[in-house]
Amino acid sequence: MDSVIGLSVFGVDWTFLKPYIVLGLALGGAYALSGVGLVVLYQTTGVLNIAFGAVGAAGALISYYLVNHTSTPQWLAFAACIAFGGAVSLLYGVVLGPAFAARDPLVKTMGTLALALILLGLMAWRAPAGGAFNRVLTLPTTNHRFELFGATVNWTQVISLAFAIFLTAGTTIFLRTTKLGTAMRALADDREITATLGVPVRRVEASAWLVSGLVCGTAGLLLADLFTTLDYAALTFLVISSLAAALIGRLRSLWVTLAGGLAVGLVQAVLAPYGSITGYRSATPFVLSIAALLYLSRHRVVSISRTAH
Amino acid sequence: MFTVERGALVRAAIILTLLAVVLFALPGSLGADWITTLTSVAIYSVVSLGLGILYGRVGMISLGQIALLVVGAWVATRLSYGTGLPFPLLLLVTGAIACVVGVLIGLPALRLSGLYLALITLMAAGAVSVVLRTIGFPNGGGGFTGRTSAVDLSGLAPVRRPAMAVADTAYFRYVVIVCALMFLLALLHIASKPGRAWAAIRESEPAALAAGVNITLYKLWAFALASFMAGVAGCLLAAQVGQPTAQSFQTQDSLTLLAAVLIGGIFSIWGAIVAGIFNQLVPFLFQAEWGINPNFLLIIFGVGLLQVLLTAPGGLVQQLPKDLASLGRLVVRGVRKVARGGGRST
Repeated sequence: MDSVIGLSVFGVDWTFLKPYIVLGLALGGAYALSGVGLVVLYQTTGVLNIAFGAVGAAGALISYYLVNHTSTPQWLAFAACIAFGGAVSLLYGVVLGPAFAARDPLVKTMGTLALALILLGLMAWRAPAGGAFNRVLTLPTTNHRFELFGATVNWTQVISLAFAIFLTAGTTIFLRTTKLGTAMRALADDREITATLGVPVRRVEASAWLVSGLVCGTAGLLLADLFTTLDYAALTFLVISSLAAALIGRLRSLWVTLAGGLAVGLVQAVLAPYGSITGYRSATPFVLSIAALLYLSRHRVVSISRTAH
Repeated sequence: MFTVERGALVRAAIILTLLAVVLFALPGSLGADWITTLTSVAIYSVVSLGLGILYGRVGMISLGQIALLVVGAWVATRLSYGTGLPFPLLLLVTGAIACVVGVLIGLPALRLSGLYLALITLMAAGAVSVVLRTIGFPNGGGGFTGRTSAVDLSGLAPVRRPAMAVADTAYFRYVVIVCALMFLLALLHIASKPGRAWAAIRESEPAALAAGVNITLYKLWAFALASFMAGVAGCLLAAQVGQPTAQSFQTQDSLTLLAAVLIGGIFSIWGAIVAGIFNQLVPFLFQAEWGINPNFLLIIFGVGLLQVLLTAPGGLVQQLPKDLASLGRLVVRGVRKVARGGGRST
């Protein structure tokens, strides 16, 4: 029971803040999900996939089309989004991955920027935003709600947060215990030596692309629902929030990435009711990533190696 | 200081002729929308030039150039409403303020390079854009932000243009001359001490350090120069648009700028002009002249970027002459073969 005089947090009533915390945790879960996908791919292949948001957005648009313009069953339409994410990522990784393998991380990243531009162009052409078009993609789980500590929570929000935690834990165990996971960790250390040891490097890389693509499709689906309107440009640039999560995790630690994603989502949502700074809350991922990058660079070494950052 | 070769003289003559054509012959034969578009081409080629210097000459990537362009446009708008500065002075002051902001964004470059530098400049640019979008562009009010909540803005004058170039055509000529001066500034840098220092830093930072190059100074210098150019371009853009709004700058602009600059070619300053054409003229052609959905251009940018990264690091500026030369050789060889074959048969 809330007391009559509600607890006030910097001038905003605590009960009023609750829904924002729920939303923040749900969005944070989706960012963390994408962040973990980014980190696993970066560690295995050295590619920081800027197209992560664009692929998810394109998948969500496909789902939207299948649900609203065809008689496809809903579950199949949602599965199509996840499958699309996996397929596009796998295709990119198999076709262009080897061509970029020996280049430095910046060039690899710009390669995925090209993929993002192509997808953005396709989406802007086939599914123009604005005007009378206001697409909404609602997962069936969103319609089931319950009360928790006086705040309304729907199942999509629960799934988002739970899946983020599950994926982080699952990936950690997977990387530690399975053969493929060990190969991925070896690749993260040194691609050439791993190849010399007889690990099928390209197959391991392809599986990393596939898995991160599936994660990307899932995140796109969740974010399209959590963001209430399906705006491809906004969804594409949500990659910034996921990047912030990954950077907070130093592109290395999965658990810190999870925490980073939740922090980005939470801070951004909780600032919303504060009138004086609410307009600046979308700067949250930028500011947090800058802080993370500055922390990363606190020890400067001049290195003669060509691949050094 | 400089020894003048014949090649350089010929090149200078060609450039001056081209400039004369652009200044005097072009405006007379083109419509109003073409003039506006070509003005934008000139402005964006200066922004591209800044990025080209940073990435092509010094090897530092910055995704913050579009944000600096917006900062320039904002400052120019504010100063135009708040002060009576003559236009050339407005250009310089705007450039100087953008320079300070740019050096601040560039400070991490002293510790970061490659991917991390690209990311931190992208994030800094994003933060600056959020702030500017929230504050909004000045609309004739007072105070630091220059905003007023008055509903009726019909009496608001556009951002000042130079007194001698108020009409669109005259302003186009003015912009081309300012842009030519910016290119000259870049050339002077590249041909003298900073250019050599930048080349040393790009090839190997430890070697440059060992050779006594002041890395801190020359890296920040490059950022200052590129930001100055972006600021001047922002001022020119504000005066061209008249009443700039935050909505006229899109989030994806800094990404398309990077793609356009790489496609144009980062190792030659001509690449900057090609990038300006790609960024402004081609979308105009697609939309207004050919009736093609301009979003196709994003797809072309993506494919072009992949091609540049994988096979043609010099961009269109280097690749096109190379391709044309090999095509020419192929044709000559074909003609010779036919001629020889023809000689034998008779």
